[in-house]
Amino acid sequence: KLCRTRSISRPAQVGGRPQARFLSGDRDTAAAAAKLKLRTRLLVTVLFGGSLLGVWWYVHAEREQKLQRQRVEQLRQVALGQGTFSLVDHTGRRRTKRDFLGSWVLLYFGFTHCPDICPDELDKLSAAVAALDRNASLPPVQPLFITVDPERDDVAALARYVKDFHPRLIGLTGTAEEVKHAGRDYRVYASPGPKDEDGDYIVDHTILIYLISPDGLFLDYYNRMKSAEQIADSVRKHMESYVTL
Amino acid sequence: MTAPNSAERKACWDARDHLWKCLDDNDDSVASCQRFRTEFEAKCPAQWVKYFTKRRDFLKYKDKMQTEGFTPAQGPQGSRS
Repeated sequence: KLCRTRSISRPAQVGGRPQARFLSGDRDTAAAAAKLKLRTRLLVTVLFGGSLLGVWWYVHAEREQKLQRQRVEQLRQVALGQGTFSLVDHTGRRRTKRDFLGSWVLLYFGFTHCPDICPDELDKLSAAVAALDRNASLPPVQPLFITVDPERDDVAALARYVKDFHPRLIGLTGTAEEVKHAGRDYRVYASPGPKDEDGDYIVDHTILIYLISPDGLFLDYYNRMKSAEQIADSVRKHMESYVTL
Repeated sequence: MTAPNSAERKACWDARDHLWKCLDDNDDSVASCQRFRTEFEAKCPAQWVKYFTKRRDFLKYKDKMQTEGFTPAQGPQGSRS
């Protein structure tokens, strides 16, 4: 009972003072005080909310970076593209892997008699490179096309084929052994199908675009589901986070 | 034989698309779409005709799986003691 009376009386006491001010008739000071209190409260809320957002964003960015590092590490362990290749380009010039060191490379394996997938993927690759070209501060990316069908894709066939895509696209071919060696390096699966009456056949093969760093190391890969913009974004991210060995 | 160039590829793909549209509109009745089929076979290398025909079969099968669901094949029925 004593407690009850005490708790009742307290608010009256606390409320008493400001009420006394109101009653004193100084409405402006009270209104100004109320506005200040509101502004302070707003400011505190915004600062608090802003810092929460900032912390969230920072944690998110850290997590993204960590995932990226883990992925690069995993791909490094898979260790594709460690070897060298020696092939002939679509102008008849011999090129080895060493010729492309120092450049970022986007590499695709395919064949010129391909019904739809290779032209689609090369269009996509060309669009990704064109998107990256638009940013003058980035190093130019070298698109490469290596055939999985050396029997039909000679230098002339490659020259006819690559001109329909990005102007910097280089086509590469060679002897069956040279081409097999290059494909093995990237664990590319390639299997020519049965020949028909015309001697025509389709080569079943891995459909991937590989990203290779200026050190010649395999950094990432992009399958059919990835769009040109996604590839360009990914390459940009790799370029930004790249540390020369 | 040289590979089709960009224009020839596009002509083949267009013929294929016309044929597939006709088949879609006519409930896959090849008889109704004979004209498109002939054009398709003329504009595309024989290997590509085979490839795209198989591809259409696959796409229809995939659609069917996605809409009707998959019923696993019954195992060998027979008495076993």
